[in-house]
Amino acid sequence: MIELRALCEPARAARVVLSAVLLLALSRGVADEGAAGEKSSPFDRLRLWGYGEIYYTRPTRRPQDSQADLARAVFGIGYAFSDGTTFDSEYEVEHAVSSASDVGEFEVEQFYVEHEFAPVAVLRGGLFLMPFGILNEHHEPTNFYGVQRNFVETLIIPSTWREGGLELSGHTELGLSFAAGITTGFDLSKWSFSSTYPPYHSALGLEDSDSAPLQATHQELALANAEHLAVHLAANYQGLPGLLVGGAVFYGGAVKVPLPAGVANPAPEVALWEGHVRGDLFGFDLSAVYAQGSISNTAAANAANPGSPNPIPAGFYGAFAQAAYAKGFGTRACRLAPFLRVERYDMGSSYQGTQGPLIPSGLVPLSPAPGDTGTWPRGHDWVSTVGANLFVGEDVVVKIDYQSFSTNADFRRFDLGLGLSFD
Amino acid sequence: MSLRRFRSALSYSLLAPAALVAPAPVFAVDYLTAEQADRLIFPSADRFEVKDLSLEEAERQALETRLGIPVRDRWPLRLARQGDRYLGAVAVDDVIGRFERITFAVGVGADGAVAQVEVLSYRESHGYEVRLPAWRKQFVGKTAASPLRVGEDISNISGATLSCKHLTLGVRRILAVVQALQASGALP
Repeated sequence: MIELRALCEPARAARVVLSAVLLLALSRGVADEGAAGEKSSPFDRLRLWGYGEIYYTRPTRRPQDSQADLARAVFGIGYAFSDGTTFDSEYEVEHAVSSASDVGEFEVEQFYVEHEFAPVAVLRGGLFLMPFGILNEHHEPTNFYGVQRNFVETLIIPSTWREGGLELSGHTELGLSFAAGITTGFDLSKWSFSSTYPPYHSALGLEDSDSAPLQATHQELALANAEHLAVHLAANYQGLPGLLVGGAVFYGGAVKVPLPAGVANPAPEVALWEGHVRGDLFGFDLSAVYAQGSISNTAAANAANPGSPNPIPAGFYGAFAQAAYAKGFGTRACRLAPFLRVERYDMGSSYQGTQGPLIPSGLVPLSPAPGDTGTWPRGHDWVSTVGANLFVGEDVVVKIDYQSFSTNADFRRFDLGLGLSFD
Repeated sequence: MSLRRFRSALSYSLLAPAALVAPAPVFAVDYLTAEQADRLIFPSADRFEVKDLSLEEAERQALETRLGIPVRDRWPLRLARQGDRYLGAVAVDDVIGRFERITFAVGVGADGAVAQVEVLSYRESHGYEVRLPAWRKQFVGKTAASPLRVGEDISNISGATLSCKHLTLGVRRILAVVQALQASGALP
């Protein structure tokens, strides 16, 4: 039995989880009988995989915000039961050290059981990644260009987005696949309307601060409020080699912001839809994503927090287009693949109950450190990223890029990264 | 067993012939028999001759070293003939997708190029796209000299990366074996 308290200590939690899975595997019998009466090992049914990323980021205008980070160390454990039933799980440590007094987190990213009734009917239940965008389900560092994931699939599609619930998926003979599910949703009572300092003052801070609308309100099946459930539907087409076209939509009620008695406070509803395309063309990897979200019934909550620099948006969106020379320069053992990406994000394209964020003008303190001042960041921008991935074999990648921000000019940065993946 | 040695053992078993890896029966969809695959791959053949061929041990080890994956010594092939003319050979093999075996057949023409790839049985809950005719058609015309690498001359399928990679490796293995058998005179 897994002790729940053990899961609060990340290293111990990792040992407990791994031991539990191995015990589960061994409990099926060290010597299972195979079809021909031969003994088979439980390790035949066990699969391990993992990936990790290290970043170095240097804002060119604010070098004091330079950071190096073991962004994530992820390991996965899967097990195949009989009769088409499998178990998959992923465990992640962010920012190297996770404890009550450190910045890191240890989290369960996936934990689900899946059973196949037929190729067009695969049912999974548990905590799983949502089938949105290009990267949310497949975000190993060897699968994307640039040191960090694009802003559309971080801030608008809240990668790494996972929910708890049930999902039915399937594949057809024509290359069309679908997924439909019912899951937990978002919790707006977690929204932070005020802060003494800006919630972030660098691009890395923006990505890590969980400030984006659906990042700030996701529940990740951690004692999630399940009064309001949500539904999602996704479809993808991969019938032509090298082409992926798809889209998804999410809709559900959310936990409301608590307001004083007597104030009309209808339950908010969250919706998100996206479309994506990725294709191989003459050695180039071309991709584009558009995502748009909305949160309804936010007027009362925003009106109850006048003058907030961070009201709840009614609408938010993002889009990017990217071209990478995937064929690259070099050999199979060492290949340099340059890329260019242009993206737009707006975390507050419309509001209810307020004119929008009331942001201090001019220079403001960015942190308690004396003299650390700058402008309060805006929640929208145009970002251009140019760089290259250096693939060492198939599973290791060294990355370099430069990002230019049109609105939040202090975010401009030079980045280096190391990523690896194995399965 | 250390984790590194365990993983090494596990990865070795992933591409071993089915006889050496015998998990308990799981859900499977059988699409074709070997005989049906023969007819699809070489429709103009009027007969198929089953030949049980073997690689010399030195040859087998050299292929294992070159390919980086296990290569068995015995290769039962089905030789397609139209009258006296040799059309090519069909080899049936297994690779593992994510957890389960994918049984597939590769037809290699007399010129050493892939005539066709057919999936006979698929047992996974994901990665079915490797069965799509458009994806398998990428292998037609490939030879032992072709790269046969996902991401290079074979397109990947998002969500089916392991099945794509392992099936591609399996085709590369068969091409290398057929080339070796032709070079030794065991095959026309």
